[in-house]
Amino acid sequence: MNTLATTAEDHRIALLAALAITIHIAESALPSPLPGIKPGLANIVTIATLCIYGLRTAAWVVMLRVVVGSLLLGTFLSPTFALSFTGALASLIMLGAARLIPGQRLGPVGYSLLAAMAHMAGQFIAAYWLFIPHPALLHLFPILMTAAVLFGLVSGIIVAAMLKHIQ
Amino acid sequence: MKRRGKHLVLLILAALLIAGCSRPQQQRLHHAQLFSFGTLVDISLWGASPAQVEEAERIIHRQLQIMHNAWHAWQPGPLTATNQQLRSGEWFVCPPAVMPLIVQSKQLYRRSNGLFNPAIGQLVSLWGFHSDTLPQGPPPAATAIASLLAQNPGMDAVSVDGQRVRSTNPAVQLDFGAFAKGYAIDRIVEKLVDAGIGNAIINAGGDLRAIGRHGDRPWRIGIRNPDRPGLLAGIELAGDESVFTSGDYERFYEYGGTRYHHIIDPRTGYPARGVRSVTVIHDNAAEADAAATALFVAGPRDWYPIARQLDIKYAMLVDDKGTIHMNPAMAARVQFETADQPEIILSKEL
Amino acid sequence: MKTDLITRADWLVIAAAIALLPWLYSAFWSDNRGVGDEVHIVVDGKELPAISLQQDQTLTIQGSIGPSVVKIADGRVRFLSSPCRGQQCVHSGWHQHNGEFAACLPNRIAMLITGSAARFDTFSY
Repeated sequence: MNTLATTAEDHRIALLAALAITIHIAESALPSPLPGIKPGLANIVTIATLCIYGLRTAAWVVMLRVVVGSLLLGTFLSPTFALSFTGALASLIMLGAARLIPGQRLGPVGYSLLAAMAHMAGQFIAAYWLFIPHPALLHLFPILMTAAVLFGLVSGIIVAAMLKHIQ
Repeated sequence: MKRRGKHLVLLILAALLIAGCSRPQQQRLHHAQLFSFGTLVDISLWGASPAQVEEAERIIHRQLQIMHNAWHAWQPGPLTATNQQLRSGEWFVCPPAVMPLIVQSKQLYRRSNGLFNPAIGQLVSLWGFHSDTLPQGPPPAATAIASLLAQNPGMDAVSVDGQRVRSTNPAVQLDFGAFAKGYAIDRIVEKLVDAGIGNAIINAGGDLRAIGRHGDRPWRIGIRNPDRPGLLAGIELAGDESVFTSGDYERFYEYGGTRYHHIIDPRTGYPARGVRSVTVIHDNAAEADAAATALFVAGPRDWYPIARQLDIKYAMLVDDKGTIHMNPAMAARVQFETADQPEIILSKEL
Repeated sequence: MKTDLITRADWLVIAAAIALLPWLYSAFWSDNRGVGDEVHIVVDGKELPAISLQQDQTLTIQGSIGPSVVKIADGRVRFLSSPCRGQQCVHSGWHQHNGEFAACLPNRIAMLITGSAARFDTFSY
C-alpha cells in the first residue's frame, strides 16, 4: 500500500487552512449589513502565515480556504464562490506584488490592509462584471472599500500583536 | 528609503488601477445628424471605429434614398407606378422595392382591424397631405370624404400572387406614410449589425430603433410632451428596441380654430380625434410604426385590444385631456419629466 | 529579529488607503462624475436649447450690448470674447465641470454646465 508522503510544510498548510476555514465558516453565519461586507477575519490567518512562512504557504492556505470552505458551505462553483475566488486571487496578487518591493518589508498591518482592499476590489469587479452590471452598484463601492480598510487595519493590528507575542 | 517610497507609490497606483477598472469607460460616442432626402436622421454610435462610422452613414444615406425614391406617396416612382396599376384591377408585376411593404402591411392591416390602413392614399391626398408644403385649409367637403369612404378602400382588396399584385377595389391607393420609415429603419439596423455595429440609435424624424447600449448604461430616450414644448417622459432602452411616437403635432394645419392633422381615421375619413400622441416600444420598427398609428386611430377607449392583437408589449397614449393611458409594464419603464405627475389610467397588462 | 508593531512602510500604506477613500466617494457618489455633458446658455433670461460639449464649435451669441463668442472644444466651454469692459467672463477660462457657471453679466449671457443625469441620447416625437 502506498502512502502519500507528506512534509512538515504540508501539515502546516493543512493546519493553517483548517483554522482559516473555521473562521471563514463562522463568519459566513454572521449577518451582513451589505452584501459582500464581512470582517474578513480569515485574513488574519493569511497575513500571519505570510509573515511567518512566506507567500507560497500563504497562497496555499488562501486557496484551500476558498475551495474547501465553499465545499463545506455548499457554495462551490456558485456565484458566491466566484466572488470569493476572485477576491482571494486579487489579494494574493497584491501580496505577491508587495513582496517584490525591495528594501524594508511591509509589516503585517500594511500587508493586511493591501490584501483586504484588493480582496474587496476583486470581489466588486467580479460582482459588477459577472452579475449586476448596473451603475447603481457603483455607489456601493466606496462603502465597501471603507469597510475593507477598517477590517484590514483591525486584522493587521491583531496579527502584529500576535507576532509580537510569539517573539 | 526613498526608493521604497517610490515603489509604494507604484503599488498604490496599482490599487487605483484595480478600482479604476470598474469605472465607466471613456466617452466613445459618435453623434451626428444627417439630412438626406427630406428626413433628418439623428445617429448615435457607441464604440464604433471611424471606418464603421463612415459605413453607417453610407448605409443610412442609401436606405433613405430607397425610401425616398421607391416609397414616396406622390413623387413619381415605383409606388406611384404601383398605384396607377392598382386602379386597373388587373394583375401586374409589382416593383420588387414595393412588394415586401405590401405583404407586411396586409398582415398588419388585418391584425389592427383595419385601423392601420395604407390603402387610403386617396383620403390622405384629399386632405392635402400629399404635398411637401402643408395645406392651409379649408378641410375637404364632407361629400367628397363620404364618397371615398363609401368605396371602402382596404388592404384586403389587394391580392398577392408570387411577384404579381392586383386590387379588386379601384379606390385602393397605397400610402406607406405610417410604415415606410419604420421599414427603412429596420433595414438600416440590419445592415449596421452586418457591419459589426452593436451599439447605435437610428432616429429618423423622431422615430427610432436602438441596439446595444451607451457604454456602461442603457440608451436614454426622451419622449416629447404633446401639450407644450419640452419632455413628457424618459425611458431607457436596452438590447434591441424601437420607439415610435405618433402625434397630432407632426403634420397639421389649423382652420377655423380646429386642428387637422395627418393621421386619418379610415373609419370616419377625418383626422382621428381624442388623442394627442401615442408612443409604442416594440422590437421591430416597421410594426412599431404601424402600431403607433393604429393605436392613435383606435383612441383612448379601444387602444388596448388593438395593441394586444398587434402583440405590442409597451404602449402609452396621451388623450386630449392630457390623461395618460398605458399598460403596467410601460408604466414601470417611463420616468415622467413633467412638473406635475400627470393623471394615469392603467390598462390590464398587454 | 525585532519588529515594530507598525513599520514606516505600513504607515505609508495606511496613509495612502485613507487618502484613497475620499477620492472613491467623490468619484462614485456624484452622478456627474465631475465632468459635464452639455451647456445651457441663457441670453437675457431666455434659455437656448442645450448644446452638447461633445461637439466642437464656436458660437456667436447676440447679447444686450453686443456679440459674445463662446467656444466649445474637447468637452469644455469658454467665453472667447465679449463686448463687456471687465472681461471677467473671458478671463475665467475653460469650464467643464457639472454645475459650473460662467456669465457675462453686462451682456446678460449666462451659461451653466449640466451632467449626464438630465441628458438623453435622443428624442422620440
